[in-house]
Amino acid sequence: MGLDNNNIQSGVSTDQSDGNIITTTIDKVVNWGRKNSLWPMPFGTACCAIEMMATLASKYDLSRFGSEAIRFSPRQSDLLIVSGRISIKMMPVLKRIYDQMPDPKWVISMGACASCGGVFDTYTLIQGVDQFLPVDVYIPGCPPRPEDLIDAVMQVQRQIQKGELPKGVEAAP
Amino acid sequence: MTEEKVITEDTTPLVIQQLRDKFGDGLLSDAEAKDGVVVVVKKDNLYPLLEYLKTDLAYSMLVDITAVDNSNLEEELIKYDYARFMVVYHLYTFEGETPRLRVKVPVNDQNLNVPSVINLWKGANWLERETYDMFGIEFDGHPNLTRILMPNEFDGHPLRKDYPLRGRGERERFNFDKQNA
Ligand code: SF4
Repeated sequence: MGLDNNNIQSGVSTDQSDGNIITTTIDKVVNWGRKNSLWPMPFGTACCAIEMMATLASKYDLSRFGSEAIRFSPRQSDLLIVSGRISIKMMPVLKRIYDQMPDPKWVISMGACASCGGVFDTYTLIQGVDQFLPVDVYIPGCPPRPEDLIDAVMQVQRQIQKGELPKGVEAAP
Repeated sequence: MTEEKVITEDTTPLVIQQLRDKFGDGLLSDAEAKDGVVVVVKKDNLYPLLEYLKTDLAYSMLVDITAVDNSNLEEELIKYDYARFMVVYHLYTFEGETPRLRVKVPVNDQNLNVPSVINLWKGANWLERETYDMFGIEFDGHPNLTRILMPNEFDGHPLRKDYPLRGRGERERFNFDKQNA
C-alpha cells in the first residue's frame, strides 16, 4: 500500500495480535485519498490546452498521479485547470464553472495568458484570472511543457497532503 | 494600394468593362490588383452593383465583408471626400478570368448606413454583424444587427483607430454578474 511513514505519519503496532495494525488520523487518510484522486476539470480555451491534452495522453500520462479521470462536468471535479486565454466574454462562464464545483476545489492557472494576460495586453483579455478566481498554483510558460503541468498537479498534491486549505476556502469567511 | 497599376484600354479585365458600361459615374475608381480587381463604388450604387455581380456575372461566393478605418491615411481621405470608413466586400467567382473581386464603398462618419446584402448572400449575416461590432457600420435591412464578438454590454467599436489598444477599462470593470444573469 502507499501508506508510507513519511506521508501519513502512521505507527505500526508490533504486538502479538495477528497481522499489522496501522494507526493514523482520519484527516491524514482523507487527504491522502483526495490527493491521489484529483479529478481535473479542463478549461482549455487556447494553445495551452494542447499541452494539457498531451499531458493527459499516454506519453506523459497524468494518470500516474491519480488525475486521469478528466470530468467535463464541474460538479464532479475538484481541480480546475485554466489553460488558455480568457476574454471578458468568457470570464463569466469560467466563474460559473468554478462556482459549480463542489468544495474543496483547487485552481491551476496554466500558462502566461491565464496567469497575467501574456502577450495579449488588449482590450478584451482578462489580465490574469486571479483577479476573479482564487488560484492555487500558477504555471509560467507559453505554453508550459507537460512536465510543468505535472509539477503543478504535484504541487497541489503536496498542499493537500500538508492539510493546507485551497485558496478559495481561505478567502471565504 | 501600392500594387494597383494604371490600366491601359486593351488589357482591362472584362468585368471592369462590364461594370463601367453599366454603372458609369457610379464607379469612383477601378483598378487591377495583384490578386484580382478592385472597384470603388458610390454608396447609392452599392446594392445594384453587388446584385449585378451576383446574378449576371456569377460572383456567387461572398468571401468576406470588413471595413477599414482610414482616419490615419490622409491620402485615402482626400481621395474619397473625407469618408472615414471604407467597407470592403470580397467576392469570388468560379467562372471567368478574374475570380477575385473587391468592392469598396466609402462611408462617411455622419452617415454610417450601408444596405445589407443578406438577400444576395446568406453568409453576409454574421460578416455584417462583425463589421457592425468592430467598426459601428450600420447595415440597413439586417434582421439582427447585434454584436457578435464583443459582449452586448460593450461600449464602442474596438477596431476604430480612435479606440485605445488596451481598451477604456472594460477588462477591469466589466460587469460579470450582469452577464451571468
Ligand atoms: S500562454 Fe502561450 S500557449 Fe498558453 S494560451 Fe497563451 S499564447 Fe497560448
